[in-house]
Amino acid sequence: MAAVTAPTVRAGLPGLLRRRALAKLALLALAAAVIVPVVTARWASGSWPDALTVDLSEPLGRASDWIIDNRDSHPLFLYFLGHVSNAVVLCVRAVYLVLLAAGWAGVTAAAALVAWRVAGVRLALGTALAFLACGLLGMWVPTMQTLALMAVAVLASVVLGALLGLAAGLSDRTYRALRPVLDTMQVLPAFAYLLPVVLVFGIGVPAAVLATVVYAAPPMARLTALGLRGADPGVLEAVASLGATARQRLVTARLPLARKELLLGLNQTIMMALSMAVIASVIGAGGLGDRVYQALASVDVGAALAAGIPIVLLAVVLDRVTGAAGRRLGGDGPEISGRRSALLWGGSAVLAVAVAVAVRLAGRPEWPEAWTVNIAEPVNRAVDWMTAHLYSGVPYLGGTADWAGHFTTWVLDPLRSGLQGLPWWSVLFIVATLAWLIGTWRTALTAVLAMAATGVLGVWEPSLDTLSQVLAAVAVTLVLGFATGIAAARSDRVERLLRPVLDVFQTMPQFVYLIPVVALFGVGRAPAVAAALVYALPAVVRITAQGLRQVDPAALEAARSLGATGAQQLRQVQLPLARPALLLAVNQGVVLVLAVVIIGGLVGGGALGYDVVFGLAQGDLATGLVAGVAIVCLGLVLDRVTQPTERRAKKGA
Amino acid sequence: MNAVTATDTATGKATSAAAGTPVFSVEGLWKVFGPKADRVPADPELTALAPAELRSRTGCTAAVRDVSFDVRKGEVFVVMGLSGSGKSTLVRCLTRLIEPTSGRIAIDGEDVLGMDKARLRELRRHRASMVFQHFGLLPHRSVLDNVAYGLEIQGVGRSERRSRAREVVAKVGLEGMERRRPGQLSGGQQQRVGLARALAVDPEVLLFDEPFSALDPLIRRDMQEEVVRLHREEGRTMVFITHDLNEALKLGDRIALMRDGRVVQLGTPEEIVGSPADDYVREFVREVPREQVMTVRTAMRAPATAEEAGRGPAVAPDVTVSEAIEAVARTGTPARVVDDGRCLGVVDSDALLGVVAGTHPGVAPKPVAALPAQAPGKEADAEAGGEAV
Repeated sequence: MAAVTAPTVRAGLPGLLRRRALAKLALLALAAAVIVPVVTARWASGSWPDALTVDLSEPLGRASDWIIDNRDSHPLFLYFLGHVSNAVVLCVRAVYLVLLAAGWAGVTAAAALVAWRVAGVRLALGTALAFLACGLLGMWVPTMQTLALMAVAVLASVVLGALLGLAAGLSDRTYRALRPVLDTMQVLPAFAYLLPVVLVFGIGVPAAVLATVVYAAPPMARLTALGLRGADPGVLEAVASLGATARQRLVTARLPLARKELLLGLNQTIMMALSMAVIASVIGAGGLGDRVYQALASVDVGAALAAGIPIVLLAVVLDRVTGAAGRRLGGDGPEISGRRSALLWGGSAVLAVAVAVAVRLAGRPEWPEAWTVNIAEPVNRAVDWMTAHLYSGVPYLGGTADWAGHFTTWVLDPLRSGLQGLPWWSVLFIVATLAWLIGTWRTALTAVLAMAATGVLGVWEPSLDTLSQVLAAVAVTLVLGFATGIAAARSDRVERLLRPVLDVFQTMPQFVYLIPVVALFGVGRAPAVAAALVYALPAVVRITAQGLRQVDPAALEAARSLGATGAQQLRQVQLPLARPALLLAVNQGVVLVLAVVIIGGLVGGGALGYDVVFGLAQGDLATGLVAGVAIVCLGLVLDRVTQPTERRAKKGA
Repeated sequence: MNAVTATDTATGKATSAAAGTPVFSVEGLWKVFGPKADRVPADPELTALAPAELRSRTGCTAAVRDVSFDVRKGEVFVVMGLSGSGKSTLVRCLTRLIEPTSGRIAIDGEDVLGMDKARLRELRRHRASMVFQHFGLLPHRSVLDNVAYGLEIQGVGRSERRSRAREVVAKVGLEGMERRRPGQLSGGQQQRVGLARALAVDPEVLLFDEPFSALDPLIRRDMQEEVVRLHREEGRTMVFITHDLNEALKLGDRIALMRDGRVVQLGTPEEIVGSPADDYVREFVREVPREQVMTVRTAMRAPATAEEAGRGPAVAPDVTVSEAIEAVARTGTPARVVDDGRCLGVVDSDALLGVVAGTHPGVAPKPVAALPAQAPGKEADAEAGGEAV
């Protein structure tokens, strides 16, 4: 990825900066000249030296055993964690029972009416259709399970996030303490959160809910804090000048002024909760994610698709409805009378209850068996046909499996062996150089320490394996993403065509991407890379296109008036001016790719992701935990290495 | 002409109330931003430093340096200066939106800096309300609710505050827009909402912080006239911050001209234009059309002969030079300055020209230069030119 960014970096750098970059390089070279001979003299091996490794599996294994032994007797579990666990189970159970009691018709009616009130008729219709489709695919019960789990997790995330955000929004010190933590939590792959909660709560619904809460609360906290801090100081001053108390200032000015951010936070929290609720199937979440997980385990693409479609529908509906609600409440439309709105809400509630009761009286609250369509079989037939005809031997083109094989042989393998063949200290120096050139010495230090930590933990080789997959995926993502982004920025038609596609792709949970790649490429490292590519591409395209389009039109006009050709405009004006956006695109691309490459452990991606899955499946928590920590470290490295000095708002999904 | 009338009424009121306590009394006020700001006003060595030197020595910036003035009841007190002169900081210090570093502020004789939180809130809620340059409206509330906001935080009931807000909305000319949101209004309309919000709490003093700087010139003129009208109708005390000299001259009964945190001159518009205190002020007022600011009182001289004191058009002493020029030009004779039937002096075309050209010696009440020979005027139309304003 360095090769891709280097030209833009250089083009955008004024002389002073370039000299500073040279100074940094010289300093690093000097450090290398001193350290390398010492290091090679002591530990001569090319791979991470055993002497520097700390074996954590034994203490971790003991800790895990201790927790399992004491879960029913130790006061910490009896009086605190046990209650948390029970409360979570109770809540999820209660919501699930309510959903079942409402029946398919009641739930669909209620969802559609809510969508109608907050987002309009069209989305209400879409919501109803989406729920009916879930039933049609025979996935009504798992959908309700996922919904129940999500409802509890989202509620907890929103409360937790809003409280943290409130604290960080009102107190500078809390903000300074919380921000780096939240920033970091947002770049970590979902898989990294699974092991610690399993260690404490064991596999099951409480662990799944808590992992989801931990994963989904940061955006709410972040955006609440941002919204409260970003309130127009002029308005706050005016409010103070009229003699408002601190509480009045918060309730009448700061919170309403932050409503856009609050709603965006809610939207992101819901999307991340859905994403995690699906992934958490590997720690016992049940529901739709579990169906996909089971199906993928037996490479039953049809069954995976039948469960995957409801996930996508749910994601799209939730995203559109909350997004539309945000736009509506955040808009400048005329005042809506409170009484009328209350009447309509009341009417909607009554209608939903009426539908639920009517269907219950009619005696069919469950989704009728006869109305389900089994798509698994035809899909599997299609996949079989594809396996037979498209996997390999297509004249001239080869075949999907051939492509995957070539990619593995010609790109992934050399990259992996190249990385693993590099002396370990040189990897550290490369990381330091990249991070320092793009960021500050602090980011460089964090990156180097995190990279070294993977070695200390004894997972140097699998970390580099994961890294090689990430690098390959990021390189392809950036080439495709920048090219598409430039096309979308330069042509309105391309942008119009791309927008709906990007919208849908950006809302889908990571897990779902595994289904089509398994259908196309089978299992292995190449499909994991492909899934990562598809997942990260939309964000990269979007950020690139936006960055290019937001380039100062006056500068562009000036270039045009001087007779610059289209290519000259792009190379000399747009790309240099859009450099921050491009760097952000790289950063986002890397973070998103890592998240999916790790999940790729479920479809044969191997490396760290596989260690986590293996640890969970075998009950070998020590291995899983070490891999989880290594994932965290790798996430830190990749984020810090590509971190532009100023961070922007992030994609939530 | 509005300005002239407003000035007249205000001056009248100001003089009648001059004996009472000033509304705001500011004495030796300092506001220093930066580390350990407290030491700056206390240290005579530091206070003597120029701003740049002070910053390099202490890292502090003195936004307001040793400012003293009184705001009299019923007057429009203008604080004028370029950006960075400290005027906006000064007005925020009055209600402690910015906490002053040292000095004394009193409102109706009551110490502001000694107020506790509740008392200060009371001050902000009932006695002084402010209109801001960037309006500071709440975007999620309707116009009516914005105007009623001040009353709402005072705890006034919904229906009462809404009916009071409705009156004020009508007063600033926004009828029919009560239910719109600020985002749907033009800049001028938004500032009317800001003005209405400040008026709705019926404060003793209105503080304006460059309220019209963000508006188009035409709308700005409308709004200035609106303020003049409000002042004429209600006689409310106003403190008006501006960087626009013409606005200051148009609205102000008295003007404090600030530079680098200090008040370099404080006086009536006529004093500022007629006798600038230093080169900075002189440079500042150079372009001002003097004949529209200076009054005949400053341009007149003692009548040379009894005949001169008895003839010619009569003008009041507060009439501007440009109006006197009209009278003199129409009759061709020097005009008499008459106050209460008593002739105070005369103004002839040379003296008037001197004012326009800026060669007139200034505020001195008696003419000093050698009297030019007066050609006796022709037939004077005393009736036509003698309308006293």
